[in-house]
Amino acid sequence: MSSLFRVHEATLRNGLRVRVVPSTDTPVVSLYTFFRVGSRNERPGLTGISHLFEHMMFNGAKKYGPNQFDEVLEAHGGRSNAYTSHDLTVYYEDFASEALEQVLDLEADRMRSLTISDKVLEREREVVKEERRLRVDNEVMGLIDEELHALVYQAHPYRWPVIGWMGDIEAIQRQDCEAYFRTYYAPSNAVLWIAGNVEPEATLRRVRLAYGNIPRGPSVPAVVNAEPVQRGERRSVLSHPAQAPGLLVAYRGPAVSNADAVTLDVLEFILAVGEGSRLTKRLVYEEKVAVDVGMDWSWRLDPGLLLFHAELAPDGEPARVEAALYRELARLAKEGVSERELTKAKNNLKAHLMRELTTASGRAHALGSYEAYLGSWRAGLRLGEHYARVDAAAVQAVAARYLLPSQRSVVTLHPRASA
Amino acid sequence: MKHAERILPPRAHFTTEGGLGVEVAKRGRVPLVSIRLVVQSGAATDPPERAGLADFTVRLMRRGTARLDADALNEAVEFVGGTLAVFAAEDFVALAVTTPAEHLPGMLDVLAQMVREPTFPQHEFDTERDRSLAQFANDLDDPGLLADRALQRALWGTHPYGHDVAGNRASVQRMVREEVVAFHRDRFGPQVSRLVLVGAIDVASARPLVERAFAGWKGGPTEVAVPPPLTQTAFEGKVLVVDRPDQTQAQVRLGGLAYRRGEAVSFPAQVMNAALGGGFTSRLVREVRVRRGLSYGVGSSFESMRSAGSFSVSSFTKLKTTRTLLEVTLGEVARMRERGPTRAEVKKAQEYLAGLFPLRVETNEAVASALADLWVYSLGPDWVDRYRERVRAVTRGEAAQAAARFCFPRPAAVVLVGPGEALARAGEGLGAVTVVPATELL
Repeated sequence: MSSLFRVHEATLRNGLRVRVVPSTDTPVVSLYTFFRVGSRNERPGLTGISHLFEHMMFNGAKKYGPNQFDEVLEAHGGRSNAYTSHDLTVYYEDFASEALEQVLDLEADRMRSLTISDKVLEREREVVKEERRLRVDNEVMGLIDEELHALVYQAHPYRWPVIGWMGDIEAIQRQDCEAYFRTYYAPSNAVLWIAGNVEPEATLRRVRLAYGNIPRGPSVPAVVNAEPVQRGERRSVLSHPAQAPGLLVAYRGPAVSNADAVTLDVLEFILAVGEGSRLTKRLVYEEKVAVDVGMDWSWRLDPGLLLFHAELAPDGEPARVEAALYRELARLAKEGVSERELTKAKNNLKAHLMRELTTASGRAHALGSYEAYLGSWRAGLRLGEHYARVDAAAVQAVAARYLLPSQRSVVTLHPRASA
Repeated sequence: MKHAERILPPRAHFTTEGGLGVEVAKRGRVPLVSIRLVVQSGAATDPPERAGLADFTVRLMRRGTARLDADALNEAVEFVGGTLAVFAAEDFVALAVTTPAEHLPGMLDVLAQMVREPTFPQHEFDTERDRSLAQFANDLDDPGLLADRALQRALWGTHPYGHDVAGNRASVQRMVREEVVAFHRDRFGPQVSRLVLVGAIDVASARPLVERAFAGWKGGPTEVAVPPPLTQTAFEGKVLVVDRPDQTQAQVRLGGLAYRRGEAVSFPAQVMNAALGGGFTSRLVREVRVRRGLSYGVGSSFESMRSAGSFSVSSFTKLKTTRTLLEVTLGEVARMRERGPTRAEVKKAQEYLAGLFPLRVETNEAVASALADLWVYSLGPDWVDRYRERVRAVTRGEAAQAAARFCFPRPAAVVLVGPGEALARAGEGLGAVTVVPATELL
């Protein structure tokens, strides 16, 4: 895949890292700004500030006033959005190539001199509360997921939801936002990825011009992982108006820096990706204990989770789903996987890597994420080789290492009648 | 003469001996191919009392063919790193495959088997029906989805576009295997289908593969059912409240009739909509989110199908600001209807729509989907290739006319999802209020 594109890179004096990936497929450019900050950098009392701050970034800076960011971008045929995760905050814009200089000016303006006013904060606070009501308070899976993270993590910031607790969202002050901005939104904590129809040298020159005089930031406080050892299964039961019971099961996984992370990618495909995957075949089609089943193994900077979620029918029984799930996981740890299953998983991972790199936006996002999680984008391009080296014994070994009943946390939701 | 800029890749066409039209577009540098087969027998052709039959049929097609049972079929696709998705829309059903180019022959063979010789095993039918029924039940926990379903009913009533493509509990409960078999037999055939291949494949290589996979697929239906047009929404000037007592947030939808797919008015209408509620700087976003913090999301959009189309506004807010949200959104739509967009808004909307258009056809899948749509709706390649030019040619007057025509010149159908009593009060004055339990929608 790396033969399909070249990455040009530079680091400015203020620490801003810039990567340019030129291509001529479409007359469009994607610009991603990765800030190495997410909810893991928060503390109790200020949970949700990363996400709330993401909203603040669209409300004006010194040169371009309130609402000008999207006004100017859209007038130049562009669109923008952003997301916040446990580990990262990512801003991105897609736009016609002609607008590159303009968009760099917009992005640099808000990195240099964001306006943080009480008025804007109050308004965005209300918007975020609506977002929380939408995604968590009125969404069954959102409630279960929030409960699960609080059940698993006792000390690590992964304990709270990215959107934050409602009480904290209500309490965040302007001064908190200002300190947050100075610390985490400095060029030294950011990486710019520019992919698409651009000329690399000219683009790097433009970036230097736009960002060069933004001062470097302070060093970012390290995140302490004080998570204690889990000494046995944990369970939580929710009672909430719903049509069907819900179930979410988590096992403690490694951090992305652990070599097992890649092996777990393979394990995830074997267990739960596709109609022919082990869990879907067994739980949905053979035993029919669930309507749908899935697994989520997402890379995280600190030790993450192997999540298993099941959608049940209204008369479904979580205990039966749990039993069937645990049988499958135990079988994997005991008997391992076949060569054919392993090859199938690798074929899928290979196709997946190819697909995410087919568009300019996909390349910028994938390579930027690799750099954030693996330490370098080159390591991302070598993923294919890593996957190729995973053998059946390694898959069986990670199953045995991580899918331990004592390291399990289980949330079930039992429907109750409406109020 | 100025040539239109070309957005679509060069294409080649042929027709199989059995009469299946095939379009091949070679593009890109990645060794992947996207395949899309569309059949013009969508949810609008579901028989009365059997809403969801088209969708159910196409989903069951992947659960067994004369030569492959469900496991073998999934293995054939998934082993090589391919993907298979099947779905129904109002006007067509689609089977979409992506595959590494080297496995194209095998994937075409699987696709052809599914279309030509599905066996619809009884036990798979039973499982799929049970899963559908469970899904309907769980959908009751999704307020946004309930609101979308309620709007569909409020707009279209008993019209063929008036039911969700998946049907509902009663209709799926009544289905029997023979109906699925009959639907496939009567509604599937090469004359009403189109096969599109996009990516690392040229027509010379594709043709023998397609001819072999689809050899002998002939006959079948020749006529495409065309639903009648609609002149008035079912809930024009009325309020449909879907009662969900435990919600702390109200889902809000407003809707009216608009244009059919392929009407020239869609260009000024899209420009007008970008100004009203399309982009992030639209009037609705500004007034609802930016100025008042009433919601996280608000937008307006057009949906257009073969025989008719709709215009709708969608948002949500905490219960106590529901009335305010309704007043602000209806007020903005009315202002747009009466005065149209400003010149500056038109210009910005044009740049916005034209600038982003190439991204809508950036992947093989998106190109395959666009080519299939062009065929389904008889639009011709200019519809895509000249899209940017036609958007840029829209005048303020044309956009204002589109606003006058579509921004609820007749009273909107109003849908509210949340606690019934409170929302019935919030909807007062907007028309007769009907409160239904959520279960009635599914």
